[in-house]
Amino acid sequence: MKWLRKLPGYMNIWTWLSLIIVVLILLPNVTIFINFFTQEAENWGHIQEFILPDLLKNTSLLMVFTGILSILIGTSLAWLTSAYDFPMKRFFKWALILPLAIPPYIAGYTYNGILNYTGVIQTTLRNRWGMEVDQKYFDILTLPGAVFIFTLFLYPYVYTITRAFLANQSASIIENARLLGRNAWEIYFRIVLPISRGAIVGGVSLVLLEVLNDYGLVQYFGVPTFSTAIFQTWFGMNDLTSAIKLSATLMFIVFGILVLEKVLRGRKKYSYSNAKVRPLTPITLKGGKAWAAFSYSLIVFSLGFLIPFIQLVDWMFLTYDKIASPEFTSLITNSLVVSFIGAAMIVVFAVIIANFARMHHSIVSKSAARVTILGYSIPGAVIAVGISTVFIQIDQVLFGFYDMIGITPTLALSTSLFMLISAYVIRFLAVGYNSIESGFDKVGNKFTEASRMLGMNVTKSFFKVDARMIRGSLVSAFILAFIEILKELPLTLILRPFNFDTLSTKAFQYASDEQIHEASLASIIIVLISGVAIYVFHQVLEKEQN
Amino acid sequence: MFVQIKDLCFSYGKENTIQNFNLSINQGQIVSILGESGSGKSTVLRLLCGLETPNRGEISIGGDVMTDDRRFVLPEKRGIGMVFQDYALFPHMTVAENIQFGLKGYGRKAKKQRTDEVLELVNMTTLAKRYPHELSGGQQQRIALARALAPKPSLLLLDEPFSNLDADLQIKIRSELKEIIKQTGTTSIFVTHDREDSKAIADRIITMRDGSAYDWDSICTIKSEFPEEQWTTVQ
Repeated sequence: MKWLRKLPGYMNIWTWLSLIIVVLILLPNVTIFINFFTQEAENWGHIQEFILPDLLKNTSLLMVFTGILSILIGTSLAWLTSAYDFPMKRFFKWALILPLAIPPYIAGYTYNGILNYTGVIQTTLRNRWGMEVDQKYFDILTLPGAVFIFTLFLYPYVYTITRAFLANQSASIIENARLLGRNAWEIYFRIVLPISRGAIVGGVSLVLLEVLNDYGLVQYFGVPTFSTAIFQTWFGMNDLTSAIKLSATLMFIVFGILVLEKVLRGRKKYSYSNAKVRPLTPITLKGGKAWAAFSYSLIVFSLGFLIPFIQLVDWMFLTYDKIASPEFTSLITNSLVVSFIGAAMIVVFAVIIANFARMHHSIVSKSAARVTILGYSIPGAVIAVGISTVFIQIDQVLFGFYDMIGITPTLALSTSLFMLISAYVIRFLAVGYNSIESGFDKVGNKFTEASRMLGMNVTKSFFKVDARMIRGSLVSAFILAFIEILKELPLTLILRPFNFDTLSTKAFQYASDEQIHEASLASIIIVLISGVAIYVFHQVLEKEQN
Repeated sequence: MFVQIKDLCFSYGKENTIQNFNLSINQGQIVSILGESGSGKSTVLRLLCGLETPNRGEISIGGDVMTDDRRFVLPEKRGIGMVFQDYALFPHMTVAENIQFGLKGYGRKAKKQRTDEVLELVNMTTLAKRYPHELSGGQQQRIALARALAPKPSLLLLDEPFSNLDADLQIKIRSELKEIIKQTGTTSIFVTHDREDSKAIADRIITMRDGSAYDWDSICTIKSEFPEEQWTTVQ
């Protein structure tokens, strides 16, 4: 009865569209689970016995070590840059986020290019000083090598979240500890780490999900994981059903991480939303300590951004004449076009669901918001498997339909860009959604309510009032989604139409063909665009807030 | 009865905010709902204008049913004006644009004319081109009132209209407010936690506690039956 009464308030286009979008997002994921339990796969027994143990071992090792190391680097840098002043701190504060601009697969082949026999280090040692080194010390194409790359290029997730927390939430606690006579190390281990637990767990979950999502780096480094195994069973053994079963197994691991995140964050709330935000006042370091802090930041920044970036620029000059061609221009166009369409669709979908969710406080609207975010935790290869299964099934239905109305039947959908872009939308909807949701949170509901009291319906209110007020969030949602799509590799590799290349697939292809230098131009463009975006978001926006 | 509320019930989550609320109001009356924070007084306004849906009960305004078991009129169709606690003036629009926002179905000329009328009513004719952030608190409040009155609502709701003003301004503005509303003859309900506000403006005061209403027909009865010191302990 009560439920029936509330129904008319829901009856508008936003509700219907939201429900449709939610179903579209769930469809590929549900398909994977249904197929996991129903389909028989010819190679599954073999995979379970001989491949799965290795996959589990590699995946666990990668996650455990990358997780621990990125916590160490991320939190220590977050603490240094929020609690202390040292030379060039203002620069490092945002520069230490820059490693995120280099996708791990690009970082991986760049480091391999630096360290291998023909790389800059070994050739210098050989030609200048006549030193021959033992190759085993310079071989990065190993599991520890992959951990090294993952850590250096993913730690910023831990760094940014923890730093935001420390800088804004911790002032009174830290200052109290200082007054109580605790030294810096004690404060770090006994206060900072425990109180930032929620932030650290949040950051490290993102790191782990990125590790699970990665295909390019582990493939290049020859470390078999679920992503590579899904590619292999699907395209190598032509066994989609086994690929589905692997995907489902990987999804169980993802859900495990998400549950663990919830549990570890605990019920304790380590944020004081009611208290006024008071930034932590940094202490100025002097002498040796200042230089130690500076050197540490510089080393991480150099390894995580400067060195690979300079190397890429160097290679770019070597190969520019060869690579820059009309063909390369079409790569750029392809990348920009899919990123643009994908990001635009993400903004539209995210706006619809966020607006629906904020208008109603019910289980339905909350679950809609949850589902929207789901895609971001699911690895690209898994989404690719799910999406193509769904699209192939739709195509089969359409196939009969085409036949009936007398058009030559084709597998139109599952070979089109439409499939790739749908996959992007599912995978990165959360990126746009979070930005738009926080925009809505800031303005609240009162302007919409005022507009409705003046006779405008929900849709008109959105276009005349809400959209104007969250313009900034709409723009940042678009940019963030655009960049994620630009960098994306596994989905694009699997779902792109025949002969359709983007900057990221081409860079990966060159690197896989041992043409590392040739991969640099495409990589540089990706890194530059992402780097500029990071600069804008963390430097300019932070200044605006102050 | 112009406004008729019968057996209204509403809950946020599990907690009952409004319990069997009954109220009827004559046309042209200014009614004040007086209550402490958390007494559910603002929720009554939100239910009246359709921003919340009641669990039970019936609301009718001017003889038309707004909510009952079978019907629910959307807020934008109810023809109710509302002045929000923090005014909610659209920051990306000028004062004139804010006022014209609600004037649907008016021609260009008629819009301009109505805007001038209400600006005159609230004594703000010179500020039409300003943006809300260029106005003082008291000015913003008057513009919010003008905006709510512009479409000639059948019922005007005011949610804590003075809570964002300093004490001096508050006293000055509340007498003005009463005059303006009386001039238009609009039936009005305003919610406040300040009994001085109620006394100054209302023809009739309702007090609320724990989601139910207590009604006194006039301030005189309040004053005679309940000495001021006892007000907080009443019921």
